[in-house]
Amino acid sequence: MWLKNIFGTRPSSEVAKGRLHLVLAHDRTGLDGGRLQEMRNEIAAVIARYVPIDASAVEIQIETRNRATQLTVTSAVQPRNA
Amino acid sequence: MGRAIVITSGKGGVGKTTTTANLGTALAQLGHSVVLIDADIGLRNLDVVMGLENRIVYHVVDAIQGKCTVQKALIKDRRLDNLWLLPASQTDDKDAVTPEDMRSLVFELKTTYDFVLIDCPAGIEQGFKNAIAGADEAVVVATPEVSSIRDADRVVGLLAAADVPARLVVNRISAHLVKRGDMLSQADVIEILALEMLGAIPLDDEVIATTNKGVPAVLEGKSLAAKEFIRIAKALAGHEVEDKAPVGFFTRIGRALGLSATPA
Repeated sequence: MWLKNIFGTRPSSEVAKGRLHLVLAHDRTGLDGGRLQEMRNEIAAVIARYVPIDASAVEIQIETRNRATQLTVTSAVQPRNA
Repeated sequence: MGRAIVITSGKGGVGKTTTTANLGTALAQLGHSVVLIDADIGLRNLDVVMGLENRIVYHVVDAIQGKCTVQKALIKDRRLDNLWLLPASQTDDKDAVTPEDMRSLVFELKTTYDFVLIDCPAGIEQGFKNAIAGADEAVVVATPEVSSIRDADRVVGLLAAADVPARLVVNRISAHLVKRGDMLSQADVIEILALEMLGAIPLDDEVIATTNKGVPAVLEGKSLAAKEFIRIAKALAGHEVEDKAPVGFFTRIGRALGLSATPA
């Protein structure tokens, strides 16, 4: 394993773990990709009503730890006079 | 009143039937009376894994439809005094049984036997719903692979919704693959599924060989997998279980000096 690490290859078990965290987060919310994008667009539209943002740069992320699932929306707010 | 435990996984081929056969046999060896129910109607397999396929006269659907008494449909395992199998039907389909039927069947068996182990079919459809209907608790079997863990997670959610508490058995762990970084470890699986773990069964050629013969591995007793099945059966039944990892020298010294939170 240390040899692989020296050459910068991630152990396949780590890859599996990362993939599982992502897949399970989506499975647990029951949201498929399409619905998620729809929600992202609606949230972006709501934020844009209050502050100037680049609606296409709004990111949505679902993460899960210990069976608790967290939804994070990230959006950069543009300066007022931009 | 006995306890009904469903053995389930979502994904097929991860070792539900092997786990049911071995845990049931181990519980019987420990002196408990045990009935194994094959709930995989239309695709019965527990009979061949137990080596009892030549003795089937009636099956679970006959018992539910009143074609015979439940007692009459039970096959007694001649190797042990207190082990019985209620085989599935091979010709009916899953709709031949309802969750209500299963609930009353399992309840009836619980009045006589200490443990009723229900071997659940793969999937999360009708067969799954039937299998969990009468269960007090669940053992979720998963192998350390992405697809198996994903399906197990789905099943854990469905069991929680049905108020059936679940514990985990990780099956076919290969120590050298884990060490090489090419297999998820049992700690990884516990972390991902956030479930209490009952045990981890090592990948063991002996299980394949004993299954070929229709003998549950625990009856031959010597293999690593058999030892772990026996340990899990003891934990399930609330027997004293020996600490799996031997306590190290320095831990002992630490404990003696009062450096550890765990009592010695």
